Amino acid sequence: MLSRLRYTFRETFDSFRRNATLTVASIITAAISLLGVGLTFLSQHGFDNLLAKWEGGVEMIIFMRPDATVDQRALIEQNLDANGQFIESWSYCDVECSLLEKDRVLAGEPGTADLVDETNIPTQYKAVPTDETDVDLLRSVTEAFSEGPGVFEVVFAEDQISLIEQLQSFFGFRLFLLSGFLLLAAVLLIWNTIRTAIFARRREIEVMKLVGATDWFIRIPFMLEGLLHGVIGGSLASAGLFVWNSQWTNGVQGFPENSGFAALVITDGYDKTVMLIMLGIGALAGAIGSGIAASKFLDI
Amino acid sequence: MIRLENVTKSYSTEVVAVKDASFDVAKGEFVFLVGPSGSGKSTLLRMLNRQDRPERGAVWVAGRNIVDLPGARVPMLRRNIGNIFQDYKLLLEKNVFENVAFAQEVIGRPKHVIRQQVPAVLDLVGLSGKEERMPNQLSGGEQQRVSIARAFVNRPLILLADEPTGNLDPATGEGIMRLLDRINKTGTTIVMATHDQRIVNTMRKRVIQLDRGIIVRDQARGVYE
Repeated sequence: MLSRLRYTFRETFDSFRRNATLTVASIITAAISLLGVGLTFLSQHGFDNLLAKWEGGVEMIIFMRPDATVDQRALIEQNLDANGQFIESWSYCDVECSLLEKDRVLAGEPGTADLVDETNIPTQYKAVPTDETDVDLLRSVTEAFSEGPGVFEVVFAEDQISLIEQLQSFFGFRLFLLSGFLLLAAVLLIWNTIRTAIFARRREIEVMKLVGATDWFIRIPFMLEGLLHGVIGGSLASAGLFVWNSQWTNGVQGFPENSGFAALVITDGYDKTVMLIMLGIGALAGAIGSGIAASKFLDI
Repeated sequence: MIRLENVTKSYSTEVVAVKDASFDVAKGEFVFLVGPSGSGKSTLLRMLNRQDRPERGAVWVAGRNIVDLPGARVPMLRRNIGNIFQDYKLLLEKNVFENVAFAQEVIGRPKHVIRQQVPAVLDLVGLSGKEERMPNQLSGGEQQRVSIARAFVNRPLILLADEPTGNLDPATGEGIMRLLDRINKTGTTIVMATHDQRIVNTMRKRVIQLDRGIIVRDQARGVYE
């Protein structure tokens, strides 16, 4: 068993050395395509952050003043219940919930975020309308609530959501398409690299087959080689994504406040999840490319 | 050890490589396959180690019909068959020891077994002291000895030799035949395809003659005609 493992790793690394140019090319292609995938995930998460406060079909948010009394809040809640024909459901986002939301929405503006704490953050009532398409009705409901006691501001979602969703859809589709093509190129390049490696060792493979080596024994070093191409590509892409996200985070902090980019900064650890996903996709791409090549071209 | 029953193999509708061939080879026998180029000698050898399959007939090796042997079982069959080629098929970037050890390594023999058996077989073929040489530092005869050592190191039941003296001068060829004869005397069955009239006439072993895929002669202690 140990001798087989030793043989497998030795042959894999020998093949890296013998096929250096193609190996480097396939690793770089895998890295660039995976970086594209990672950036797509991050940008989508950034848009999700922008939409965070509107999650669950929320179209209207009533921000309460920090000093709003229990009676004032009770009155707002009575009014929300009383407007059942216009408001399907509502929820209250207390101080703790609002602070969590603030951390996401103001991730790129730490200066502003630091000014907001549990003593001055407005709590929120988030309302889901019965008919979100009746804009005039929603606007009149919004205006009615803005006059209520203890109300700081009432925000109406329509325009903001529509713009963000359009942007998310535009960039999401095109970036995923581009990443898909780049991934396909990476798989094909890994496939071609392994095919070349098999061709370069055809005499050795012929001898191996004639002395009774199993197909799997012959195949595994090639599959491991492709897998490593993908994993190394994924690691490089992860490093690239980390640098990119750090620089973007620092860059956004220098933007003017309320520039709208604050929520596009990822600080909740999602970038680490994306790095793991990239490693996984890289390994999968490498295994698919090399697996197909090793199965198809072994009969030489 | 080997039995062919009405074996027919063709590469196209016009080219019939072997036609209705039948013969038996007993354990420990030495058999020459003779005949002009294209007579089907190499095809017969390829069918014996399942590199090729006949359209019709049965090929029995060590008590088993290998024509329908599942692909996953073929490596096990080949571990009992050594192959020697006219062009040696040595791995040029490996030295003598590594070339021979390779045949054991790829079937998972432990390192201590390889360290013990490879020097022994190199001694048998007369290459002791040349373990570190690369193939391009060896003569043709020495390269063929490495090839024989590689074929024999796993102690196969059968050795298939396809024109093993075809690239060698007569004196070197005789040395190779003496070596094969020695291996044959250990009980290994040898089937050898050859054009070499002098060697066949000297050895006086069983001769199976092919002509355009048909066995035209099967003679014990035969000569080349």
